[in-house]
Amino acid sequence: MTRCAACRSRRIKCHSDCILSPYFPSNDPERFASVHKIYTAGHVARMLQQLPVHLRAEAADALYYEAQCRIRDPVYGSVGVISQLHQLICDAQRQLAKAQAEVACFNAQGEEATTQLQ
Amino acid sequence: LLQLPRNMSANPSSSAGPSGSSSGGGNSSGVGGGPCGACKFLRRKCVTGCIFAPYFDSEQGAAHFAAVHKVFGASNVSKLLLHIPVQKRLDAVVTICYEAQARLRDPVYGCVAHIFALQQQVVNLQAELSYLQAHLATLELPTPPPAPPPPQPHIAPPPLSISDLPTTSCLPATYDLSSLFDPMLQPSWTMQSRPVDPRQFAGGSRAPAEMSGGGDLQELARELLHRHGSPPVPCNEGSHMPPNSR
Repeated sequence: MTRCAACRSRRIKCHSDCILSPYFPSNDPERFASVHKIYTAGHVARMLQQLPVHLRAEAADALYYEAQCRIRDPVYGSVGVISQLHQLICDAQRQLAKAQAEVACFNAQGEEATTQLQ
Repeated sequence: LLQLPRNMSANPSSSAGPSGSSSGGGNSSGVGGGPCGACKFLRRKCVTGCIFAPYFDSEQGAAHFAAVHKVFGASNVSKLLLHIPVQKRLDAVVTICYEAQARLRDPVYGCVAHIFALQQQVVNLQAELSYLQAHLATLELPTPPPAPPPPQPHIAPPPLSISDLPTTSCLPATYDLSSLFDPMLQPSWTMQSRPVDPRQFAGGSRAPAEMSGGGDLQELARELLHRHGSPPVPCNEGSHMPPNSR
């Protein structure tokens, strides 16, 4: 049986009931390396163990994403992404308010023109 | 909560130490000396220069460190902090605590749930903006414009997957920890009125102002930012952004 990335990294036998195997395949060693660096394999295994089986894939993906964020930005991690999304939201809201004001302006001009014609 | 050195500077005191440390100095190993919150939790001697001491006081810091240790492990966090400049370690500890708490509250998605919610907001706002801009373009035409397109029916966007999430490299690089506690932009889990036992976070001596699930994290971020001299400014008031932290 091909060892999963986790067991290959730890140089141990990969048993059929390895909890990490479904989520850290051997063909993607970087995925496991990321989560191991930030959380360690033991913590990841324990966190997945505590979840229902049907939720573990999503949890593994989320852990991988957060680990990647932390590796790329050791200070802010995924909070950096949160902060930047907040900024995008602020910018979009400002632009939206501006566009809404412009539409209101056009509508007001249209109504004024209609009134003058009557 | 996290305790900062009394004389806040880029270099927190390195004299954090065991019971002999003076409370008049800058060390943060707890009131009247003693182990820092991390060492208290780990039940080990808090040595001089303990990397956790400036950030986890002996009273409430232990509770925060418990979450960090459960998710990341003390050794990992120690290694992480060692590779970060001292003046950035406070921010790192805040964000690590935030992620740890988020992970404990939502064992599946952690703070990715928050990112999902924000990303969805961005998508919705951009869709609305696109529609309005198209509408404006028709209004600006000199000839009588055709009837504006009917409002698009609300079509639920496809569910986001983690692969759709942004990375820091594709977003503008400004960091503002005050975003952690903007109540208008928090995901549903922080707005839910989950009863929180204050003893879980505050050692029984202090209750956060908000008892919702994310209130203590918001209180944490707010207090640290206030001490750091970066008060929160809501984005709808036309704030100036703090300088780029990088």
